[in-house]
Amino acid sequence: MPREIALLDALVPTLLFGFLAASCGSLIIDWLLTRYHLYRYIWYPALFRLAAFACMFALSGLWIY
Amino acid sequence: MNDLSKKLIRLSITLTLVIAAIILGRMLWVRYMDSPWTRDGRVRADIVNIAPDVNGLVTSVAVRDNQFVHRGDVLFTVDAEHYKTAVAQTKALVEQRKVELTMKRGQAKRRAEIDDQVISQENREDSSLIATSARAEYDAAMAELDLAKLNLSRTVVRSPVDGWVSNLLVRPGDFAQIGAPKLAVIDQHSFWVYGYFEEHKLALMQIGDPAEIRLISSNQILKGHVESFARGITDRDNPTDVRLLANVNPSFNWVRLSQRIPVRITLDEIPKNMILVAGMTCTVIVHPKS
Repeated sequence: MPREIALLDALVPTLLFGFLAASCGSLIIDWLLTRYHLYRYIWYPALFRLAAFACMFALSGLWIY
Repeated sequence: MNDLSKKLIRLSITLTLVIAAIILGRMLWVRYMDSPWTRDGRVRADIVNIAPDVNGLVTSVAVRDNQFVHRGDVLFTVDAEHYKTAVAQTKALVEQRKVELTMKRGQAKRRAEIDDQVISQENREDSSLIATSARAEYDAAMAELDLAKLNLSRTVVRSPVDGWVSNLLVRPGDFAQIGAPKLAVIDQHSFWVYGYFEEHKLALMQIGDPAEIRLISSNQILKGHVESFARGITDRDNPTDVRLLANVNPSFNWVRLSQRIPVRITLDEIPKNMILVAGMTCTVIVHPKS
């Protein structure tokens, strides 16, 4: 996996795209949980969302590096 | 479902995820910060500056820019007329000294045979010494001839290594001065990589650890290993002034930037089709054995 990707001729860290993907992922999870009323199984929704985002971002980072 | 178990489920799902996030976050931190890799690597090569060993006009340039040359190939030639004349001149000098030597030897021999009644002892000793001196003069002329021949041979400038001509700026008609570099040859077999690692990453690797090198220019991964560490870098915070006094820059107490230490990486093999250019940027990742 290349560690940098050329974005408009500027080399940016691939981790930036990991960040964007994790953001989209957490939006999707949020939508699903709301759609199927799963938030009743969650203690603090905000804490849950933050932890889910951190997990996805860290996984993408570990995959890249 | 009673209230307590519902509460437990809610708590455990959230807390599990939080703990997973903390563990993964720490793993990423360690991987990124505490593993020996750097984005700041450079491909380097030995570059030989080619300068003529004699003065003179450049008569011909045998190579083109960026051409591959073998060791011993002619690069350019300096006008040899002066040096040919010098050889002829010194040959004549050698001849003359040789004749003189024969003459002086003959004299010395004759005088040695004549007894003290005819010539003085002083005269006899002197003629022997004059012959020895003539011999020395003859030797000096021979050395001058060797020098003239050497200069003549050095009018043809040859490549000392296999490699590529670079930055060829010399043209026929230029005046080549002794010792002034006219072109550079990049040694084909000398490519290596300098990884500029942050200070705190130096302790994480050892000499001999395998390394992988990723160039910006290609997706191919080069293999290498750590050859050595630089044992000195400039102290940029303490330049001395004209009176040799210290001039210490005030530094920030909180934020300190880690300096970079050059680590030399030997390339184990270079793929045949890969174009390596001295000065290329690359990422260096060292995999510590222990």
